[in-house]
Amino acid sequence: MHRVLCSVLRARAASRGARAAGFAVALAAAAPLARAQEAAQPKTGQSAVAPAATVAAFREVTDEAGRAVRVPMEVKRIVSLAPNLTETIYALGAHERLAGVTDYCDYPAEAQGKPKVGGAVNPSIEQIVALKPDLVLAQAHGMNRPETVEALERLGIAVYAAQSRTVDGMIESTRRIAGLIGAGESGERTAGDLRARLGELQRRLGGRERRRVLFIVWHEPLITIGRTTFIADALRLAGAEPAVDLEPDWPRLNLEEVVRAQPEYLVFASSHSEAIRGTFEELRERPGWRLVEAVKERRVAVISDAVNRPAPRLVEAIEQLARELHPEAFEDSEKRKAKIEKSAVPRASPGPLAMGSFPFFLLSWPAPRTASVSGPVRGLVEAAAL
Amino acid sequence: MKPLTPKRLARTCAVLSLLLFGAMVLSLRLGAVPVSFADLTVGLGKSLVGAGDQAPSDYRMIIREIRLPRVLLGILVGASLSVAGAAFQALMRNPLGDPYVLGISSGAAVGALLSLIAYPDSSVATLLLAFVGAGATGAGVYFLGRRGGQLDSYTLVLAGIICASFLSAVVIFLMSTLSGPGFRGVAFWLMGDLSTPRPVAHGWFFLILGAAVAAIYTTAADLNLMLNGEQEALHLGVDVTRVKLVVYISAALLTGLAVSVAGAVGYVGILVPHIMRQFYGSDYRVLLPVTALGGAIAIVLADAVARSIVAPMELPVGAITAAAGAPVFLYLLRRRLL
Repeated sequence: MHRVLCSVLRARAASRGARAAGFAVALAAAAPLARAQEAAQPKTGQSAVAPAATVAAFREVTDEAGRAVRVPMEVKRIVSLAPNLTETIYALGAHERLAGVTDYCDYPAEAQGKPKVGGAVNPSIEQIVALKPDLVLAQAHGMNRPETVEALERLGIAVYAAQSRTVDGMIESTRRIAGLIGAGESGERTAGDLRARLGELQRRLGGRERRRVLFIVWHEPLITIGRTTFIADALRLAGAEPAVDLEPDWPRLNLEEVVRAQPEYLVFASSHSEAIRGTFEELRERPGWRLVEAVKERRVAVISDAVNRPAPRLVEAIEQLARELHPEAFEDSEKRKAKIEKSAVPRASPGPLAMGSFPFFLLSWPAPRTASVSGPVRGLVEAAAL
Repeated sequence: MKPLTPKRLARTCAVLSLLLFGAMVLSLRLGAVPVSFADLTVGLGKSLVGAGDQAPSDYRMIIREIRLPRVLLGILVGASLSVAGAAFQALMRNPLGDPYVLGISSGAAVGALLSLIAYPDSSVATLLLAFVGAGATGAGVYFLGRRGGQLDSYTLVLAGIICASFLSAVVIFLMSTLSGPGFRGVAFWLMGDLSTPRPVAHGWFFLILGAAVAAIYTTAADLNLMLNGEQEALHLGVDVTRVKLVVYISAALLTGLAVSVAGAVGYVGILVPHIMRQFYGSDYRVLLPVTALGGAIAIVLADAVARSIVAPMELPVGAITAAAGAPVFLYLLRRRLL
């Protein structure tokens, strides 16, 4: 999938820009849309006067891959060609108008009940056409192929290609899609909420040393993420950084490099941690892997697979990872809860430890002062539950 | 054909073993953590004596746990595929005789893939199903390749090609219906990859390799006769059908073994035997052991390149063998050596 798509140079330039001046780019990106709306509005006004009401049926926008797209003013039927876009539509509350999704759109669960158009890489063009969409949403980077977009374009279907190389890019993309489908208010609200949550997270993490982590896309062969992926950006926002800094998006890494770099944590993303538990236990037995300190000492963070999808839920995964890697940054809010908990539960038996819940009894332990190798650091919620 | 003496065979094998050792040392030295030749020799020496275990230092652990298993896997895969290739070439009297052309590798890959779906955590199941896949495809191609009760080289090659493409379609079908994040690894795995030597990949895997090569070697003299034509061999008293069966089953076994641990590494089975013929002639009594050693050297070196060319990242070894194999193949072709 990663082989696919789009002018890499442009994407890189865009992501660099976004990182350098997030808001400036955001505003600039939003500008054409705003202009288009302005241009469209007076026409809609005129249409009340003019007998033909179809004059301003379309607006001209530039999508995130830099293509000019004519989108109907009123979008009634949407086809999503990527799981993250399906999620975004649901997050915007516009799922009533979602007419088709891919086979891989599994979140939220009810998305699976929508008509299917096939996979993301090779969706059925015929099926898409048959669904008569006003707008098709595609993910330009790392998901849908440009050929698919072109094929639909030739058939006169409006295709908006989103492209997120950063977390901020995802938020901006959500806002723009919301604007396109007439859910602008919902989009502003979602974007505002996500930005506020990220702001709060940065406030908590401020000044803390970043954890050096190895994000494991797949362990056999070992595949990690490159520095220009949105996942790398998500890691940074969660107070982490890739232990091995690489250029390609999904590099195959030599295991020995992991032993050399000794990441502080391994980060796995999974919808069900059950499988990862098994995998991790297996890795502990493997020659080579057991030379990795983080494996030896079970310093592993298993977070929601939402981190793999540039959709609003990504922020949840970032918060989750931040809690795993920097538990001490969340102590104040947890302490209050812990106090209540303590009064309710006898000290001697902390009670069963559920995955994902915060292990309150750990709070009485000394928090690790440095990012050193040893110590009962967190991530350990998972480890303790393993 | 030069007269074959045990002495000449031993000398030839000794030279190649030395080369293999050199390739191993070179490959063991390459990696993210620098290790000097001196450290390496001391470490290897101690490991060989069994004395190095008290306080293994970092580099020694890295060599023993990461690099050495990989080099050993390379030897296993290289030797298996090369000998399987040489065996098929003799059977078919056709330079294109190769596990890949015959579709046996694809059959093994389908078996391995099915085992990953049914028993995702069992490497033994992967091995067994790859065997079954290779064996079944080998038998299928063998019977499809018969015409008028006789094995016909052209029919066989065509049957093999047809089976190979059909089975590739099956692989692609399985991959596309099951492709999720969990199956990303399989794509690389089927390209031929040594990056994940399984714990089980030693010891008795080498025993299987040894047994299969030995089985083929018992027919080496008969294979020499069969090179001149099956009818001729038959007239000279060779039990052609038995030889074929022994060699086929052994070669399918070798292919299944290689594919189950490293996926479909291409070009080795076709190239190494041809290169070895240039140096040592086509007497199978020499060619088989020499090919086994040559294949091991080839894969160990190819994997050393795969690991170091884009370090700290790596390429699948299949990419290197294909890239290096094509020009060598072309050279042989232009020189009319095939």
